[in-house]
Amino acid sequence: MPSLQRRRWANVAAIYCFLLLFSVAFMGPFVFALLSSLKDNPTGWPPSLVVNQLKPSNWAAAYRLAKEGGGSGLMGGLGPGGQISFEITYYTQAGQEPAPPEVVIPRRVIGGAAQALRVEHWASDYVQVVDLQEVGREPLEDGLLTTYRFTLVNTAPVTLGEVPMDLTVPMRQQFVSATLAPNRIERLGRTQSWNNVSAGLLPYVFANYARVFRENYSVSTGKQLFTLWIRNSLFLAAVRVLTTLLFASMAGYALARLRFPGRTGIFAFMLFSMMIPGQVTFISNYLVLRDGIFGLSKLFGVSTLLNTYSGLIISGLVGASSVFIMKQFFERLPASLEESARIDGASTYTIFWRIMFPLARPALGALTILTFQSVWNEFFWPLVVITSPADKYPLTIGLLNLQRAYGAATFDWGPILAGTFISALPVLVLFIVFQQYFVEGISFTGTKG
Amino acid sequence: MKRLSLALLVVFLAASVAGAQHIRIGGFGGNDTIIVEEMIELFVRPALEGTGITVQYEPVADDFQRYIINALSAGTAPDLFYMDVLWAGSLIQSGVVEPLNAYLEKSTVLKPEDIIPSLLDAFTVDGTIYGIPKDFNTLAVFYNKDLFDYAGVEYPNNEDTWDTFYAKLEQVAAIDPDIYGLALQPEFARFGALAFAAGFTPFNAEGKSDLSDPAFVEAIKWYTGMAETGVGVMPQDISQGWGGGALASEQVAVALEGAWIIGALKSDAPNLQYGACLMPKHPGTGQRGNFVYTVAWGMNAASAHKEAAFQVLEILTSPEVQQWVLERGLAIPSREALADNPYFQQDDPEAQANYVVFLGASDGNVLPFSFGSYGGDWTGPIDQALSAVMSKQATVEEALQEAQQRLDAVMGR
Repeated sequence: MPSLQRRRWANVAAIYCFLLLFSVAFMGPFVFALLSSLKDNPTGWPPSLVVNQLKPSNWAAAYRLAKEGGGSGLMGGLGPGGQISFEITYYTQAGQEPAPPEVVIPRRVIGGAAQALRVEHWASDYVQVVDLQEVGREPLEDGLLTTYRFTLVNTAPVTLGEVPMDLTVPMRQQFVSATLAPNRIERLGRTQSWNNVSAGLLPYVFANYARVFRENYSVSTGKQLFTLWIRNSLFLAAVRVLTTLLFASMAGYALARLRFPGRTGIFAFMLFSMMIPGQVTFISNYLVLRDGIFGLSKLFGVSTLLNTYSGLIISGLVGASSVFIMKQFFERLPASLEESARIDGASTYTIFWRIMFPLARPALGALTILTFQSVWNEFFWPLVVITSPADKYPLTIGLLNLQRAYGAATFDWGPILAGTFISALPVLVLFIVFQQYFVEGISFTGTKG
Repeated sequence: MKRLSLALLVVFLAASVAGAQHIRIGGFGGNDTIIVEEMIELFVRPALEGTGITVQYEPVADDFQRYIINALSAGTAPDLFYMDVLWAGSLIQSGVVEPLNAYLEKSTVLKPEDIIPSLLDAFTVDGTIYGIPKDFNTLAVFYNKDLFDYAGVEYPNNEDTWDTFYAKLEQVAAIDPDIYGLALQPEFARFGALAFAAGFTPFNAEGKSDLSDPAFVEAIKWYTGMAETGVGVMPQDISQGWGGGALASEQVAVALEGAWIIGALKSDAPNLQYGACLMPKHPGTGQRGNFVYTVAWGMNAASAHKEAAFQVLEILTSPEVQQWVLERGLAIPSREALADNPYFQQDDPEAQANYVVFLGASDGNVLPFSFGSYGGDWTGPIDQALSAVMSKQATVEEALQEAQQRLDAVMGR
């Protein structure tokens, strides 16, 4: 039956094509954004898939240059007395005599005037250019390739982190290649410009990522804000996951299994609270936090819970939907498990902790992911509650701050893209780790085990 | 138990009153965080040593206008805060900003005469001063010297009128179809300066906005006409977000921007050989037009430590702090005495551009970038008209008619 087989293959091919299209549609923007976050000019038009930072030749050069300069090949730096030799090749048309480039170490730092405040030693004050010479000529059919070599020497007693460099040649002398690809070409092709020739491998490839960490620091404590933001978000998410697991499972169990007066009333009230949109209770929640939960917080010496983690944590101890999930889960567990324990004389407390809680692992796993992900991405409420200092922001608010720093005036999208990417990682990791629970939790197959 | 908690409460309240005076300062997030915190570390803390006043900067990551309105109405606003001229008017009107006249009279270091008058006026309502401008910006002509050299055209200069300016742009644009003369942002925030030069004012004697004013029509025709002839281009059409990006891309020879462009050029196109000059004069009126964009320090009317807050305000606007801000290229401060500052006389394109922007505030028809209580809503209809004309979706007349209707709707609310 060749026709049936053919049809089956055609079906498989169609399905695969469809899946492929689907994944390209979903993953395409993700991959492209990742590529862009590495580029010098992420918004360059037309967009290009060729990224200097992803070329092995540049990796080797960035590593070698930093190593040669006495710094670490991976992390960069131009050590005291360090030397870097650099080569660059230009093309000139027949008839034009090539000229050696004018090499300048400019007084410049990536990130503008605010970043300049943090620089103590400028490379422009210490780095000297020596031995600029022509080292080779290669005639072509219609022109000439000329290669120049020069050496940068650090005369400073300290290691320089950033060594920017600009090379300028006369009009119509075209840049062909250099030891390390320039970050930008300017002045109608005359000037080749590097942000940092002794960057080292990692800061070169992940320049925008390095900027996110380096350029956002707290003046009062000197700490890197981005690291703090990640830590804050992890802390808030961890606390919320713990409180949710604890309270949701206890409340869920009580509502599912215990018989006490007002049970249905409480459940109905809980369901009702789920139906109210957050916007409705938003202002009253804010006022409650502002007054420290009707003045209760004054007992602990705090007049307001605004701008505190306590406020954020207390206002989000557990959500009704989490309790609901747990209640449904416990209701499906066979009652016999519990009954046999009760016959053996176990208290409700023991039954819950020794039998029901461990059995609830799939639901708890699913709840962990859902809660972590929702706290990690939570934006509006922390934005309102946490105002200052910037050290206290969770990552989502930190990203907004990045947008202010880079997007508002200068449209410097590189660090913003890099920051967003970093923020997407933990959720991805969590999904991969807890994947099994996630699927199990959703289908509640655990009840059969 | 109840009595105990009450007693505790009283103790805490008493403690908070007797404690040190803590001044909170609210401002933009991003780079301002680093700048203001550095300023506090270097100047404010040393000056306040021993007075028991502590200072903290609270950067706002969110849209600042929205934040400050919410915080003021919730009673959680900082003691001192940024006040942009665009929305200061509505804030002042609602009475949440402390009048500063009484403090200024007593002050020995901060006098209203020290501040550039056009800036101070923007925050003065009926003779009452509500904000002390901290820095400002105006528009200037920023040009790419390489492109002018390449075309063999004289650089734009302070004597240019619209006609000579246009002639220069036309010659530069003739180099190549992909090279344009002027970056034409479809925004009143740029174009408006030209309309002012022609004699337009946002509100006429009756308080109405008349877009059929001949001055306005002439200016919009001149501006949008450049898009039609290819002498200028909207930055969006060469995939740039704004004039600075267009200038950095070297596809456009001139952009009308403020000093904020300097930092952007430094990071996007550090080797761009740029120059700056004053805005071109209107050939008829012989005047230039310009906007003043400024941000002031305002004081919270509900602040518990107003005297201390004013003391901090004095330090923040002191000559030493402003000198520091100017020399580091962070902003152009608001004190009039800075006009003779040696910084401006340096042979450095950045300092010279800053000087041109500084001069822009007091040359010709200069108005603050504010539109009464309408704020940014006022410019919306005009921005859309500019965009519609330059992308050939409407003629100037159609677009203006539509804009006038929408503007009347905004103002009639």
